[in-house]
Amino acid sequence: MTTASPSVFLLMVNGQVESAQFPEYDDLYCKYCFVYGQDWAPTAGLEEGISQITSKSQDVRQALVWNFPIDVTFKSTNPYGWPQIVLSVYGPDVFGNDVVRGYGAVHVPFSPGRHKRTIPMFVPESTSKLQKFTSWFMGRRPEYTDPKVVAQGEGREGAVFSIHGLTPPRPLASVRIKET
Amino acid sequence: MAEVHVIGQIMGASGFSESSLFCKWGIHTGAAWKLLSGVREGQTQVDTPQIGEMAYWSHPIDLHFATKGLQGWPRLHFQVWSQDSFGRCQLAGYGFCHVPSSPGTHQLACPTWRPLGSWQEQLARAFVGGGPQLLHGDTIYSGADRYRLHTAAGGTVHLEISLLLRHFDRYGVEC
Repeated sequence: MTTASPSVFLLMVNGQVESAQFPEYDDLYCKYCFVYGQDWAPTAGLEEGISQITSKSQDVRQALVWNFPIDVTFKSTNPYGWPQIVLSVYGPDVFGNDVVRGYGAVHVPFSPGRHKRTIPMFVPESTSKLQKFTSWFMGRRPEYTDPKVVAQGEGREGAVFSIHGLTPPRPLASVRIKET
Repeated sequence: MAEVHVIGQIMGASGFSESSLFCKWGIHTGAAWKLLSGVREGQTQVDTPQIGEMAYWSHPIDLHFATKGLQGWPRLHFQVWSQDSFGRCQLAGYGFCHVPSSPGTHQLACPTWRPLGSWQEQLARAFVGGGPQLLHGDTIYSGADRYRLHTAAGGTVHLEISLLLRHFDRYGVEC
């Protein structure tokens, strides 16, 4: 297959956002979306989704389970810009507003087969104490206007985060790569 | 030309005595290598762990190189800094590791070190902060002139890097 023209390959991703561990928060839902380079395009499936709201189980596990399906196929000519899945988790605060509980991103696995990924989640933190109090009180936390920022490397300097969820939403992803 | 894709994440750091860490990373290659896409260096966000002691950055790395030779295989180098509540930054460690040369996904743990300085400087660092830093960043990934340094260990930087190689068989290189 030594042709000069760029060869197209397909990347099929099946999986689910399985569950999360957030010791401090309950009643959470998650949104996923994909971030990819210019040479990539989704050909089938949904590249974004919002899950149901889940509560912690009553038993000793205290598990937050979504079991939320992910099914998407990408087409590309270049591995640069390999897709990343960006997860944002939201939940109610004490006043009932929907606030962000964590953002996280991970690359789609590179080799065919079954993979399990655990993703740490971050929350942007205000740098001044007054702003922290005001945002807690008003229910308006620092939030990203576009969650896709989490998947990029540039522009992160100066941002302060704290991790609230040693959280793993776990995409169990099956990856199959087909070359055409 | 043979091509190398380095795709992955700087996952985070553990074992540092300071919290609120961020990392400046860069990649150094030999003269035969050309960067086709991606950014050669960057800086992660500052992370303050609320749970556990590992600081997580999940900083994506996506680099596409073309090369004419194996010399100067890419090396990732890191400077881990801590930031206190006043916004001052203090060096926590320097480290480097070679990008793996076999295709696939690799988990890398890169140990770090920091320069010690004289006992007066160490005392000052304990009370006021600061401390000696390298003038030339290339000492982090090169062996020359290291014998002049007296250093202490820092923590470990954790990475997950996947490597895709293309066209190496044309040049008789087995991967």
